[in-house]
Amino acid sequence: MNSITSMISIFQTHGFEFLKATLTTVQLTAVSLLIAMIIGLVFAFFKVSNIFVLEKLADTYIFLVRGMPLIVQLMFLYYGISSVFVLSDFTAGAIALGIHSGAYIAEIFRGAIQSIDRGQMEAARSLGMPYSLSMRRIILPQAFKRAVPSLGNQFIIGLKDSSLVAYIAVTELFNHALSAQAENYMPFETYFVVGIYYLILVLIFTLIFNRIEARLDVSKGRKRRGGKRFDQGKTAVQSV
Amino acid sequence: MIKVKQLCKAFDGLQVLKNISMEINKSEVVVLIGASGSGKSTLLRCLNFLEIKDSGEIEISGQVIDTKKTNLNKVREDMGMVFQHFNLFPHMTVLANVIEAPIHIKKKSKQTAIDQAMDILQKVGLADKAHHYPEQLSGGQKQRVAIARALAMEPAVMLFDEPTSALDPELVGEVLETMKNLAREGMTMVIVTHEMGFAREVADRVIMLADGNIIEDGHPSVFFTDPKEERTRRFLQQVL
Ligand SMILES: Nc1ncnc2c1ncn2[C@@H]1O[C@H](COP(=O)(O)OP(=O)(O)O)[C@@H](O)[C@H]1O
Ligand SMILES: [Mg+2]
Repeated sequence: MNSITSMISIFQTHGFEFLKATLTTVQLTAVSLLIAMIIGLVFAFFKVSNIFVLEKLADTYIFLVRGMPLIVQLMFLYYGISSVFVLSDFTAGAIALGIHSGAYIAEIFRGAIQSIDRGQMEAARSLGMPYSLSMRRIILPQAFKRAVPSLGNQFIIGLKDSSLVAYIAVTELFNHALSAQAENYMPFETYFVVGIYYLILVLIFTLIFNRIEARLDVSKGRKRRGGKRFDQGKTAVQSV
Repeated sequence: MIKVKQLCKAFDGLQVLKNISMEINKSEVVVLIGASGSGKSTLLRCLNFLEIKDSGEIEISGQVIDTKKTNLNKVREDMGMVFQHFNLFPHMTVLANVIEAPIHIKKKSKQTAIDQAMDILQKVGLADKAHHYPEQLSGGQKQRVAIARALAMEPAVMLFDEPTSALDPELVGEVLETMKNLAREGMTMVIVTHEMGFAREVADRVIMLADGNIIEDGHPSVFFTDPKEERTRRFLQQVL
């Protein structure tokens, strides 16, 4: 009972600050995942390039990221990046998180690209399409669709991992929790409340991804377009 | 049209093609037969450089192709290929499949490409399926779309690798019919098939491949009734 009243009072005193911090968490997650997607795509291409040096480069990057705890990487990258460039803590944190998630996203993209039937690339090449065009027009759209569930999973991990930048002074959600509990001496209740914020964020993420998945689902997509197909024959072509 | 001299190709030590020499003239329909694993697909795929020969010479339309110097994409534009498993692009409508390469490679305007694609689809009897997705078609229809997609690049030669082998028996006829029409129009065709009736009726020449060698090459009237080689005789007994 006591704990519950404490939690309510934490909501009352810190609720709004937590909400603002949540916004920072969302921004941090979005920027870092954008960076991670770009890095991931590039290194996935390296992995499927059949070019020895590029493959080894990608292997090394993935090995380093997977082989160390995130907090170690964060500290290392944060101090590394900020000693070379003058960047805000937010930017440095986002880049560090992006470099971390990028390795996992590279593996997701690589798996998705390699899961596309070889015949697709061969058919494209047999029409005279160069490798890069075949990749962009034929392989990637199919691979992307296949990668969405794993990407969603990785995005949620990225969201939660963003809490670690609290330790490099970015005032996001978890950082606020750290300082709040230091003031109110109620760590259990404070972390409980912050946990709920994260849960809600993850729930929203999940719902968004479920929608994207449903939208990309081939059979459902066709049914939706199906109604238009016969009377508005051109819609399908216009999207080409 | 196509001249092959002493073509050799091995896969990790396995010599699949041994000194293949042959010539295919303009408007000729050549059927390639042979036991499974005899190298028929490999030979076909060497002709459009989906596989790169180890040695020997391939001359196409008077040009000897140097695989390092010639732009192979340009060579492939001129050679349509039809695969056993269709390899249609599943994320695109039938029409989009057909106009993809003409728009991106031949730089045709979308309207021109669509007009030509519709003409070709009409020819293969699938104009009414233009806005369907491959998944919605039967095997026979898929293969006819694949033929239309290749024809849209206005190739000088068409290569077919067992175009009816993946089809239910009742769907084989419609694909063979489409191919017969092409032959009648004077298309140069190299066809790997087990459809001996089709070969007898349409082929100008039948070539028998065994252990990576051409062991027999002749007009179907002679080839099927009085083969010179004992191995051809035995093979025909098995498939007829
Ligand atoms: N990409 C490849 N890598 C290794 N071996 C291959 C490859 N392609 C074909 N082969 C081998 O080459 C031989 C001939 O294959 P193929 O040309 O497909 O024969 P066919 O089409 O006459 O059945 C087979 O033993 C096959 O296993
Ligand atoms: Mg074969």
